[in-house]
Amino acid sequence: MLAYITKRLSQSLIVILGVTLITFLALHLGGDPTYLFIGEMASEEAIAATRAKLGFDRPLYEQYLSFLGGLARGDFGNSLTYREPALGVVLGQFPATLELTVFAMLFATVLAIPFGVFAALKRGTTVDGGIMIFAMIGQSMPSFWLGIMLILFVGLGLRWLPISGHVAVIQPFLAGDLATALKNVPSAVKYLLMPSVTIALFSLSRNARLIRSSMLEVLSQDYVRTARAKGLAVPAVVVRHALRNAWLPVVTMFGLEFGFLLSGVVVVETIFSWPGVGRLVFNAINQRDIPLVQTAVVIFALVFVLLNLIVDLFYARLDPRVRLG
Amino acid sequence: MKYLLVAALFLGAVALAQAPDANTLVIAQSRSTSTLDPAAISDAATFNITRGLVFASLVDIDADGKVTPSLAESYSVSETGTEVSFKLREGLQCHDGEPLTAEDVVYTIKRAADPANAFTGNIVNFVFPNIGYVDARVDSELELTVVMSRYNPAAVAFMADILVHCKDAYEKMSLDQAANNPIGSGPYRVVEYVRGDRVVLEKVADYPLEKGQGGWQRLVWRTIPEASTQAAELIAGNVDIVAGVVSDHVAAINNSGTATVKPVMGTRRISIWFSFNEKMAQSSPGAAAIQSVDVRRAIQYAIDVPSICANLLGVECKRMTTLVNPPNDNPALEPYPYDPALAEKMLDDAGYPRGADGVRFTLNLQTPNGLFANDVNLALTVAQYLEDVGIPTAVEVMETASVFTPLLQSHEAGPLFINSIGGGTWSPIRDMGLYASFKANNNYNDWNNPEWFELYEKMLAERDPEARQAIVNDMLVIFYNDPPWILLYFLPSFYGVSDRIDWTPRRDDRIDPFTVHLVVN
Repeated sequence: MLAYITKRLSQSLIVILGVTLITFLALHLGGDPTYLFIGEMASEEAIAATRAKLGFDRPLYEQYLSFLGGLARGDFGNSLTYREPALGVVLGQFPATLELTVFAMLFATVLAIPFGVFAALKRGTTVDGGIMIFAMIGQSMPSFWLGIMLILFVGLGLRWLPISGHVAVIQPFLAGDLATALKNVPSAVKYLLMPSVTIALFSLSRNARLIRSSMLEVLSQDYVRTARAKGLAVPAVVVRHALRNAWLPVVTMFGLEFGFLLSGVVVVETIFSWPGVGRLVFNAINQRDIPLVQTAVVIFALVFVLLNLIVDLFYARLDPRVRLG
Repeated sequence: MKYLLVAALFLGAVALAQAPDANTLVIAQSRSTSTLDPAAISDAATFNITRGLVFASLVDIDADGKVTPSLAESYSVSETGTEVSFKLREGLQCHDGEPLTAEDVVYTIKRAADPANAFTGNIVNFVFPNIGYVDARVDSELELTVVMSRYNPAAVAFMADILVHCKDAYEKMSLDQAANNPIGSGPYRVVEYVRGDRVVLEKVADYPLEKGQGGWQRLVWRTIPEASTQAAELIAGNVDIVAGVVSDHVAAINNSGTATVKPVMGTRRISIWFSFNEKMAQSSPGAAAIQSVDVRRAIQYAIDVPSICANLLGVECKRMTTLVNPPNDNPALEPYPYDPALAEKMLDDAGYPRGADGVRFTLNLQTPNGLFANDVNLALTVAQYLEDVGIPTAVEVMETASVFTPLLQSHEAGPLFINSIGGGTWSPIRDMGLYASFKANNNYNDWNNPEWFELYEKMLAERDPEARQAIVNDMLVIFYNDPPWILLYFLPSFYGVSDRIDWTPRRDDRIDPFTVHLVVN
């Protein structure tokens, strides 16, 4: 097991290295970023001085190697926009994104199970059709549009939920202020509902369809028939035999799902003014804040790689036929 | 049952973002706040939050573009014109209680100039190069002098961008700490800063300057990037001012009964530049044709600018006559009228008659994409007007940051390109600085009018304001008659304003909360 984890982690290093190289090149090939950091009335001397200060006058390979050297020392460089260590800036925004993503993930998985199971059990009925239509619509709606519709109808029209903004829970918790974290939970949930539903709807719909088809396959298996023939109650058959096996493909999706949700937060964080890392990166790309983009990409890649590793380990536990090696 | 549960969940969650109370003003901007280090700030959104609020400056600039006293009660210019001396008011202090003296102002300036700090903020890239900063020195406890390489009549106004802070606090802080922990000198202190979300300011008790006497107890500056969300928050009454309302939302806001959209002609100059780059001039017949002043003048008559404003931007506008913002422009100049028949005649007379296919020559018009409101549509509209007088024009849409800006900065854009450059109301020099010399970096189209550059030097050296304005007026006549641009308009800004407040937006994009008042019913 340990050998497997070590192998996977060393493979991940190569992935992360590749990711940094691609990001670096993509950001640099788009032109000289110096102009984004100076006023439009700046003189030629000011431009040249700024270019030198930011290090953009050095050859590309030198800039990249210097970034990698810093990375090896745990130094991701300073954000050009915020003038602070880029790692601190990204990690500072990460809890807000984590709150959103985890909440969305809960929606996407917890609700998908009853929908999928129910649709499979009622196959061919109106209920099944209804759930599948809902899932189709859920998968077809762009999150940008859905977010704005929720704001208009739920936030502005009905005034049920706050339109935009964020109340922090993880940040005060990490800062050791448990009282504030707890106090913030009720209002934080209200702020979380609309953006997380917006992000989750696509995944919820996809997972519901996935569980339905997986359940249908499992329900037709001999062991389910046997269990039922032995007189086991339907709920017990569903939960103990069918769902446990139908759940496997969904677990596989889990790691990818998190990455997908993370990528979805850029749009949703913008619509709901959510101060998370998605929007931070979006702005950093526009500003060509290269150290900040690179740092965020490395962190994202690490999270992605680790989650997939965890999923694989978990998968092996769920299904003894799967061997790690 | 399930529906009831969902409804209950929602109803249980009814706790709306509270509408602001009578002592709180909430302002939304689309751009996120960058660093709060006074020497590093370069974006307008962060300046709005910090300048004159968290950090006071030596002088301030009011809505009419007049330089007004702030920390400095007076200033004087030396005989040589290369030194400006300021006298500070008594009893000033920073938010940590440290007395604010001349030493602190000099420290502020030197800290920004220190190459070891590698600042790239406005003070380093805009103020210093424009005033020709050399040094700053303490003359007495409340007196200081800024030394410049040459006389600049607008030097004091440029210095309004220097955000003053105290030495002791900032000497103790690393650059990282200074980015997040502003210890200011202005009438408000920062009480909450959540990057990408909000900056909350609270009034400093017993602030010694006039600005301490009035104003809101609390200012909340929210970052709301999405225009639809901004409009929704404004209509819901959660936000008082929204900067940068897009035209799609104007009707919804005006019909909401809770807020109104107020347009104001901004200071940003929207124009189409002719390239005089020698290599460019040889690239096509059209590029060669626009080297002729008669052709450039003829083209002015081919464009209906008021119609463009009304149809593309939804506001009435007067066409600009020169690169200078009113009220500093030459009032004697009349905007070029829309007269396509005259344009055609002038083009014929200039030696560019229509060919058998109706074409005189062709042009290429480059435009950034999304740099300012309706830029691509503007390019397409102008191209149509040009085609109408026999100049078919191809529009080239470019990604702003990676393609258009580098072309602009290397003076290789053209032969026609749309440009949008910010300006000011406080001095014509601010606006004319684009063409300080043939070599000036901002002379993006290599316009070379020797008479203009000669007068520019004369204008800078003139110490008498009236005589200087006379030179400015002469220069603007040159600009009008030898136009390096297709003269268009000053870009309007649209502010969404809650009906609970009374406020008139300023032209220069600054939101001064001291000019915002609660409507008393």
